[in-house]
Amino acid sequence: MRVLEVVNVRKSFGGLAALGGLDLHVDEGEILSVIGPNGAGKSTVFNLITGIYEPDDGDIRYFGESIVGLRPNQIVKLGIARTFQNVRLFPNMTVLENAKVGQHCRSKGGVFGSILRSGSVRAEEERIRERAKEALAFFGSRLAGYRLEQPSFSLSYANRRRLEMARALATTPRLLLLDEPTAGMNPRETLELRDRIVQMRDRLGVTVIVIEHDMRVVKGVSDRVVACDYGRKIADGTYDEVAAHERVIEAYLGRRHEDTA
Amino acid sequence: MDVRRLVRVGAICGAVTVYFALVGLTDRFAKLALVGSSVTMGRLVLVIAPLIAGYAVGRPRTRSGTTVSLPIRDAVVHGLVAGAIAGAVFALFVIFVDAFGVERVRGVFINVSPAMMEYVTFGQTAVVAALILTAASAVAGGLGGGYPVLPVTLRKPTGSAVLAVFALGFLQRIVPIALDQLNVERDWLYSRRLGGLTWAGAVVVAAIAASLSILKQRKGDRIRELVRAPSVEGSTRPSGTQIVVALVLLGLVLVTPLLVGSVISNVLGFVLIFALLGLGLNIVVGYAGLLDLGYVFFFAVGAYSLALLTGASLNTFTGSGPPAVSADLNFWVAVPIVMLIAAGAGVLIGAPVLRLRGDYLALVTLGLGEMVTVLLRSPWLEPLVGGPSGMRGVTDAAIGGFGFQDPVHFYYLGIAFVAFAAFISWRLASSRIGRAWTAMREDEQIADAMGVSTTRYKLLAFAMGGAIGSLGGALFAVKIGSLTPASFELLVSIQVLGIVILGGIGSIPGVIVGSLVLVGLPGLLREFEEYRLLAYGAAIVAVMLLRPQGLVPNVRRSRELHEEDEAQDKWAGDVPRDEHVAAGISPEGTGAG
Repeated sequence: MRVLEVVNVRKSFGGLAALGGLDLHVDEGEILSVIGPNGAGKSTVFNLITGIYEPDDGDIRYFGESIVGLRPNQIVKLGIARTFQNVRLFPNMTVLENAKVGQHCRSKGGVFGSILRSGSVRAEEERIRERAKEALAFFGSRLAGYRLEQPSFSLSYANRRRLEMARALATTPRLLLLDEPTAGMNPRETLELRDRIVQMRDRLGVTVIVIEHDMRVVKGVSDRVVACDYGRKIADGTYDEVAAHERVIEAYLGRRHEDTA
Repeated sequence: MDVRRLVRVGAICGAVTVYFALVGLTDRFAKLALVGSSVTMGRLVLVIAPLIAGYAVGRPRTRSGTTVSLPIRDAVVHGLVAGAIAGAVFALFVIFVDAFGVERVRGVFINVSPAMMEYVTFGQTAVVAALILTAASAVAGGLGGGYPVLPVTLRKPTGSAVLAVFALGFLQRIVPIALDQLNVERDWLYSRRLGGLTWAGAVVVAAIAASLSILKQRKGDRIRELVRAPSVEGSTRPSGTQIVVALVLLGLVLVTPLLVGSVISNVLGFVLIFALLGLGLNIVVGYAGLLDLGYVFFFAVGAYSLALLTGASLNTFTGSGPPAVSADLNFWVAVPIVMLIAAGAGVLIGAPVLRLRGDYLALVTLGLGEMVTVLLRSPWLEPLVGGPSGMRGVTDAAIGGFGFQDPVHFYYLGIAFVAFAAFISWRLASSRIGRAWTAMREDEQIADAMGVSTTRYKLLAFAMGGAIGSLGGALFAVKIGSLTPASFELLVSIQVLGIVILGGIGSIPGVIVGSLVLVGLPGLLREFEEYRLLAYGAAIVAVMLLRPQGLVPNVRRSRELHEEDEAQDKWAGDVPRDEHVAAGISPEGTGAG
């Protein structure tokens, strides 16, 4: 089943084409890696899918329905959550509060219910708390215990990344977009995170698209790899196929001298 | 001895004393006796700046993470010199005015009157007076310099004693009335003839304050533990002690107007009205992070819509005209409608500014707020709201036959409304709605990407903030009984914002305290009334420098402001945070030198 289909999407910023007709799809239960050199338009794809930008042309379909033109908060509600390349948390909110914000789109307590603290609102708040804690517990003891009540700015860099993923998981997504999740992590943390990404699919049943530069992670998690360059797809297949693909090597290493001559 | 620093600090504080004289503070307060007949507010005004100069140069200073404390003798000498310099600056001013001629100076600075010169020269010639002023300032500076380096066991009790004496001296229009109401003999404490404390009374007050301070030093931790600790470890239910403390506070709040009489109750009524406005603005600015400089809009909407709904009549040249609208609702029926109207108005105000942030939002709301007075004065709305001459005959908020016109009764009405508004604010803040607002304030784009509809929550903030603020407007209309556009100027927006900032952005108790300080204090000290705006400015500058998180801060906000300090603490190791804050505000920290 196609979870997401990106069809011939174009996007340019002031004459600079970031994406020039990109096609991409991901099936349910798949982990798709998107690779490519800097400036290939990888993050732009995420921003288009999550509604932060609107495509100039083309269509983005989620379970067969177009989501172009929806606001980011509506898209989260449909079940697409994401993290950001440069970690963006709510720095002065506690760890638990950050995760609770993720549950916002899954709850509906209104003004009067909140003021009167009606039974249903109390039950809902309790549920939000439980779900948020569950999402944090996905990362074991890293974000549990006393850390729950700490402001998120006080976390270590790796824990901020983990919290951002937990916040995304707290929205109970069907599709999760991870933008360079291991950037800036040390090798041990990277390996741990690689296993977590696989667990997200195996244990939580989430379909994952991950932008990643670390090839060990790409190799370890991907069912399929898509390589992009200059806003276009240049290769699509298993890790081994893509890694051996002539144009991918070219994109990363440049054209051999005698070819250009 | 860092002579340049002493000269700089001394000169600044001397200039402050000159400034006080030029704006007329010195003269105005000449007759306000604080203790006996010799310690008057006017004399305090003359020596307060030299005292602060001494304090500034005598206090321990932090440089590169280490705190250096002067030996007490050096601190006193430094203070003495700085104070003398400050005094000399003022003395030069006195000599100058004397030589140049009072009347000629008065042509520009209208507060420089012969009476004022008489007061600051003590009836002596200018040169003798200059010597006296310099000497007195030097003594004040010496005291100020020595104070901060006293051992803490001595410093805290001394400070408390002095503060208590002056506080009771200031409150000479409240405390004696309260004591009379309680039938407590008070002639030993307050002099009937002079107004201020008697010397005997001052000594008793100082002794009590000092002993309380010592008690706090010795047993403070234990008392705090008793008040704060929950009944069962880990439970959120209040302990017995906490309930008792809360009940005592509630009791105090309820008996206050009975003790202080109707003049002070009248002031407290305005404190409560502004607290309501503050609570409303707190939702917009504090919770949702939308800087609104046009908040007077909701004040006007509340007041005028209540007047219209309850059948107030237009002011005309011949007296009162017919009611503008024939709706003649009871106050209690009208109030919910007023809140609905204000919430709707909030959405209207919010809709055009949804895309704006920060400075742009502030400017646009400022413009929208200004439109209110223009509209209220306009011929276009004159048939409805009476134009510049306004409306009169706003109904009382009577329940059955019981009215609230008496200031003491009105106080209870205000308390009920403030409690209601505080309850709503608290419940909203601690719900998923409050969380969405906080997330939006922290990072709007990410809040949106995490599922918070920023459009919806911005509009909701304006609607809720407006609805609560309109209660302040409605109460104002009831209290005053008549409305004119002059009451709905830009100044109201600024005052309310001042209350929220001074008290602590995002903090409900902060709003109440801010309102007490900024509306209550000027109202209590009649001499102060003209200097209300001066005091506003000074208070806000002082709070922003010394305590940027506000008087009663919201936990999260103080995190925001101390983030950097905490990072520094980690770096500096064991230096307590207060010292860093202090370092940031000392003159060399601001880069003035």
